[in-house]
Amino acid sequence: MFRIEETTVNGDALRSELAVPEAGGCAIFEGWVRNSNEGRAVDRLDYEAYKVLAEREGERILAEAVERFGVERCLCVHRVGELAIGDMAVWVGVSAPHRGAAFSACRYIIDEVKSRVPIWKKEHYTTGDTEWVNCAQCAGHGHALESSLYARQTRLPEVGSDGQEKLKGSGVLVVGAGGLGSAALSYLAGAGVGRLGICEADRLEASNLHRQPLYEFGDVGEDKALLARRRLATLNPFVKIEIHPESLTHANADRLLEPYDVVVDCTDDFNTKLAINDAAQRAGKPAVFASIYQYDGQLQVMQPSSSSACLRCLWPEAPSPLDTGTCEQAGVLGAVPGVFGAMQAMETLKLLLGLPGLAPDELGLVDLMSMEMRKLRITRNPDCAGADGCVRTSAGPELEIDYWSMPAQARGGLVLVDIREAEETLASPLPASDVVTLPLSGINVDSPPLDRERQYALCCASGQRSRWLADALHARGFAGVRSVAGGLSAAHQGK
Amino acid sequence: MISVEVQYFASLRELAGCQRETLSTGAATAAELYDEVKAKHAIHLCRSSLKVAVNDDFASWTAPLADGDRVVFLPPVAGG
Repeated sequence: MFRIEETTVNGDALRSELAVPEAGGCAIFEGWVRNSNEGRAVDRLDYEAYKVLAEREGERILAEAVERFGVERCLCVHRVGELAIGDMAVWVGVSAPHRGAAFSACRYIIDEVKSRVPIWKKEHYTTGDTEWVNCAQCAGHGHALESSLYARQTRLPEVGSDGQEKLKGSGVLVVGAGGLGSAALSYLAGAGVGRLGICEADRLEASNLHRQPLYEFGDVGEDKALLARRRLATLNPFVKIEIHPESLTHANADRLLEPYDVVVDCTDDFNTKLAINDAAQRAGKPAVFASIYQYDGQLQVMQPSSSSACLRCLWPEAPSPLDTGTCEQAGVLGAVPGVFGAMQAMETLKLLLGLPGLAPDELGLVDLMSMEMRKLRITRNPDCAGADGCVRTSAGPELEIDYWSMPAQARGGLVLVDIREAEETLASPLPASDVVTLPLSGINVDSPPLDRERQYALCCASGQRSRWLADALHARGFAGVRSVAGGLSAAHQGK
Repeated sequence: MISVEVQYFASLRELAGCQRETLSTGAATAAELYDEVKAKHAIHLCRSSLKVAVNDDFASWTAPLADGDRVVFLPPVAGG
């Protein structure tokens, strides 16, 4: 229940509403009026709400918290009217079987309420003047504070205040908030790019932390898109962060890219890279790619034009995941994606500022073990390039299925095939009966032990290898082959 | 022309000098309506920092307006 109240909030009464037999504890947050803000002495506050919409949006947030964290009860009450120093402005309480979910949900609710619910705060200062909080920065009063963030970069003759305005007026979509994305997002937010989109569907795992300094140990298990937005908003509150908690595919890439000027590929999956490449070509927008393998990496800036090479000029189809390797399989030191993500941020800033960068016919190769850097000349592939550039218009059939959310009857018509390697299967078997195991490393795609007339659901750990195999088999006439979207991890997330 | 009810909160209420008003407008979208209101009341808040609600729910700036709609322009929020 979310409520707007005009009189004193009674925390004790609210707390008793949280108690249910299923709950093993509760987490409570109380927000109080304090006597200063940003160095100014505060005398009292006025809160004002758009009540109907505030309660509607507040209820949505509470429902999201229940859905996301599996907690028992969530309550939030927000005051309106005149409040004195020490008065309670907001009360949030969550009860849950375990403390982790209660703390996480409580934090989620207060963060979302502050940024989404239409409630406004007017501060009355001891000097007698007043100000609506958060309105100053958009009305230009906060200009001095904002511009001080960029003092060191506007000093550069290549940036200056004109360049800073260009960055503020730009929108960049970063696909993947992992190792590359942590670095790219941090530097793009710090530089003051006006709008940053984050496309990321995964939850944080402990094994991410050594290369993803956007996140904290205590956040393991939570949605990375939400965590990244929270962190970046504290880094630079003047940047508008938009999150897209979904995986980019050929089917949704056009929609995701549409509101942005540049797209930055921070994924480790070749199918996604090609989907970004194709959509950027169609939209006529530049894309900044980086790929790493252990200590090596490469960087490519794709500029849609008739003379520029695209990712497909180099790789017409996705190479086998066995050849490219993900961080999970090949291993990586955290600093490596950090270096390349920072280089992607640099190339993106140069694109936005109109500065010379990696040329569209160059592939930058960096070996961080030997510290050798070189640039390879790449040419447009005449088989790839159409009259108007490398546009690939057909996105192909949709080969991904949400296997775990399909009804049992629909699953029954599909043979579930576990294509992970034997050690992975042994460590965590698929949660289903009648699974055929067929490790990818043993499959010859030209003569797979499959029946062309039957329907298969291929499953790996995250859906990357299975997506590649489904594509490869489909191209070879196995029309009934599908890939389990999200792989085994989607089953664990209950998607 | 359509008739819409515009409601103001917080800083916008103070700038507009009223809580609500009924406007007769040729604006096809919320974005066009805000441009009219901005000019009428000499409001300095730029649209990119606001949100809009139509008939008590969040709406897109480009969604078409209909006769009788209730429109609210929302300044940056500061609850908590």
